[in-house]
Amino acid sequence: MSDATVSVPRKDWTTRLLLLPGVIWMMLFLITPILMIVYVSFWTQTTFNISPDPTLDSWKQFFSSTTYVGSLWTTIRIWLIVLATTFIVGYPTALFVGLLVKSKTLSTVLLVICVIPFWTSFLIRVLAWRPMLGKEGAINIILQKFGIIQQPIEVLLFTELSVIIGMTQIYCVFMVGPIAFMLARIDRNIIEAARDLGAGFGRIFWKIILPLSLPGVVVGAIFVSVMVLGEFATSGALSGRKVNLLGNIIVTQVGSLKWAMASVVGVILTVVMGIVIAGFLRIVDLKREL
Amino acid sequence: MESRVLKPILAVYVGAFLLFLYGPFVVLTIISFQQGPVGGPQFPIIEWSTYWYRHLFGLVPPSRIAPLPLGDALVRSMTLAFMTMITSTVLGVMAAQAFRKRFKGANIVFYLIVLGMMVPGVLTGLGTSLLANNIIGIERHWYTTAFATHVVYTFPFAFLVMLAILNRFDASVEEAAWSLGVSPVTTFRRVTFPLIFPGVLSAMLFAFTLSLDEFPRTLFASGRDQTLPLAIYGTFSVEIHPNIFAFGVLTTLFSFALLSVYGILMALSVRRARKMAMQEDIA
Amino acid sequence: METAVFRLEGVTKRYGDLVALDDVTLDVRVNEYVSFLGPSGSGKTTLLRVIAGFETPDSGRVFFEGRDITHVPSHERAIGFVFQNFALFPHLTVIKNVGFGLTYGKKPLPNAEVDKRAREVIAMVGLAGMEDRGVDQISGGQRQRVALARTLAMQPKLVLLDEPLGALDANLRGRMRNELRAIRERLGVTFLHVTGSENEALAMGDRVVVLDRGRIIQTGAADDVYSAPASPDVAHFLNRFNLFDGTLAGGNFTGPFGTVPVAAARKSDRDVYAVRYDRMRVMPASAAAHGPTLKATFVASEYLGSSIMNFFETGDGRVVEMEHHLSLGAPDIYEPKQDYLLTWNPDQAIVFGREAR
Repeated sequence: MSDATVSVPRKDWTTRLLLLPGVIWMMLFLITPILMIVYVSFWTQTTFNISPDPTLDSWKQFFSSTTYVGSLWTTIRIWLIVLATTFIVGYPTALFVGLLVKSKTLSTVLLVICVIPFWTSFLIRVLAWRPMLGKEGAINIILQKFGIIQQPIEVLLFTELSVIIGMTQIYCVFMVGPIAFMLARIDRNIIEAARDLGAGFGRIFWKIILPLSLPGVVVGAIFVSVMVLGEFATSGALSGRKVNLLGNIIVTQVGSLKWAMASVVGVILTVVMGIVIAGFLRIVDLKREL
Repeated sequence: MESRVLKPILAVYVGAFLLFLYGPFVVLTIISFQQGPVGGPQFPIIEWSTYWYRHLFGLVPPSRIAPLPLGDALVRSMTLAFMTMITSTVLGVMAAQAFRKRFKGANIVFYLIVLGMMVPGVLTGLGTSLLANNIIGIERHWYTTAFATHVVYTFPFAFLVMLAILNRFDASVEEAAWSLGVSPVTTFRRVTFPLIFPGVLSAMLFAFTLSLDEFPRTLFASGRDQTLPLAIYGTFSVEIHPNIFAFGVLTTLFSFALLSVYGILMALSVRRARKMAMQEDIA
Repeated sequence: METAVFRLEGVTKRYGDLVALDDVTLDVRVNEYVSFLGPSGSGKTTLLRVIAGFETPDSGRVFFEGRDITHVPSHERAIGFVFQNFALFPHLTVIKNVGFGLTYGKKPLPNAEVDKRAREVIAMVGLAGMEDRGVDQISGGQRQRVALARTLAMQPKLVLLDEPLGALDANLRGRMRNELRAIRERLGVTFLHVTGSENEALAMGDRVVVLDRGRIIQTGAADDVYSAPASPDVAHFLNRFNLFDGTLAGGNFTGPFGTVPVAAARKSDRDVYAVRYDRMRVMPASAAAHGPTLKATFVASEYLGSSIMNFFETGDGRVVEMEHHLSLGAPDIYEPKQDYLLTWNPDQAIVFGREAR
């Protein structure tokens, strides 16, 4: 057998070629814009003009204004509250769908039913809250009809409460999905064994179910957090300008062409989100669980 | 056992939960049947009528209430969604195909792509308009800047869908094609792609839907001409009328019809695959 | 060897810590039928895939018709592959499956030519009339033939078959074995046939290559391997031998049957005494025998078609099998739970030992 032509390993360009367009796109239209935000936050802003001369003015302006700093705290506060409410509201449903419903078809159907409302435009759904929560809104009408209250509840609309209710309703499904998924993966035999050993449901829940569903909770929390922190439409439509989230500030600043301030707020928002997500990912090593 | 008590309690809870989820939709459907043109977007229903549906299509005599400025916006949204769908699906299929083999830096690329769906629209929208306005010096348009941002948003979704599909794909048909002397490129075209096409279709549908309803990114990045969600947003600060709810009901029904057709197609192809698997047992 | 159609030299393949192929060297000649036999995990499928080009070895080389193809991609090797699950293209008809390589391969032929050749091959595997059926409209055995036809349509010099009969029921398997042999002989192509079934390996292959844990532990003609396994492991895989542990010392083997002189022994890492099933003799318990004997109780017998397998149990609970080929005459009937004496001609025993040279 002649050793004349020894075959050598060929370089494989396929992977690189396949990934190149996508990676370039993301670098150009995702990474660069984010870097721009950081960059512009240090630009000089006059009333109508902006120039790339570096300055800390916009930053000082942000931190010296109670309104702006207040919006940071409002954002964090609302995020925490909505996180808690979506969890509390969503977990029992996830428990039912993921653990207690035996047939897989039924649980899929239930999940689909939960998702259907999302086929309506987000904005229109937000709008729909107004005739629900107002003084003459659906909720008040129903409650009055059943004699539960005598006077209409005024605090339902155009308050922080309405924003929280609206956001919970819109985002709780993102909690239900991942949690139900993790719950469905729990081996029933473990629960059986615990029951045989005499554990009551409370014990089983705290020691077995909750910990095993934790990765799902974390995933859901990440989804909800990302969406709530970036929110502005719900707070805009339902609070009557009373609730100012960081997102709202960005929108108004851009509206008046105050790019530098908008960028400052953008950077702050990014930092908050980064801390939140990093924090969540430390709780659970997702790659291992998934 | 305890679950005998727990299950019905939770079942009732889930019922209430669904009520909570559907509340706004139910309300807006009811109000869409409000009497017009004097009826407003609140209770009580003065009189049941299909006035506002007819108003949408311009089938009623002109009144104080202007028709919704949705026509052009709708066309733009559809076009934008279509462009986004094609681009992000192509990118998603290519990237997912690349991930079938191990390679160095796979983790970084994966997170880079997934980042697109994690960063909120406020930020990408802001960044893109900054880039366009202050560096590149171009104007923002729905078909340039908004398009770019939409793809950034939908590409990761298409990618993840295709990744899941290709993970379950049995590569032996591809190897069979290679063993017959067919090049990998032709194999992909003649064997792999036809077989993963239902998955590609679902990725396309997903991307289309996401782009159609996309709001925050578009708010910043689309410049003068509006897409549909922007036009709807425009009505927020102005007086709203039940016609917007009638519009919402119609679009929901449209989405429902679209997804039902898709669901039926999927069910049919699953049934065909199952029939084939059964045949193998009837040796 | 210029008559070799392919050759492996020191091929090693690792998956993490697992060594799938360990320094494998092998020659295969033109127009040969070679069976690869081994338990699961022996590396036989990996070996096939390396030859096909679906995997690249970590070290070593693969030669095909004199060419070094170690790093040549599979679609440029012109080596056919028949998969265990057939891997038919589900979206194409039978004839489109068979003609696929001719249509889209390196040298695509005009449609009329593809059609003609495809029909020829389809007729050769006995599927004439099924050309336009969908893949989901034919039975398992028919799919097996389509997979074969598809590969043969390319007229390869070497065809690799990965457990091709594994998905078929016993009846079909028997028939397909004969057909595979016939087709191969007619075409003069070399077949490499991987199987976990020792029956199949012995029946199909001119030559049998026995693999265990990534190494080739014996190659030879089927008869040779069958009568003279090279190691206790091979004897075990062939599923034809009663294996007794014991001690080989000074030309004698001491086992549960007593001490027996041994004429010759093969070197091995343990002392094992092997008697082929069909070399065992059954005598009444009271008979006087010279040579090795083993007291055992009859348990049951199994009809295997051309032979009967009789199962006996010795005092210490081990099972000893005795095979009676029906071509030699009518079988004796044994009483369950009755004691018998098992014996054999010690010259026909195969002995392995550490002491052997």
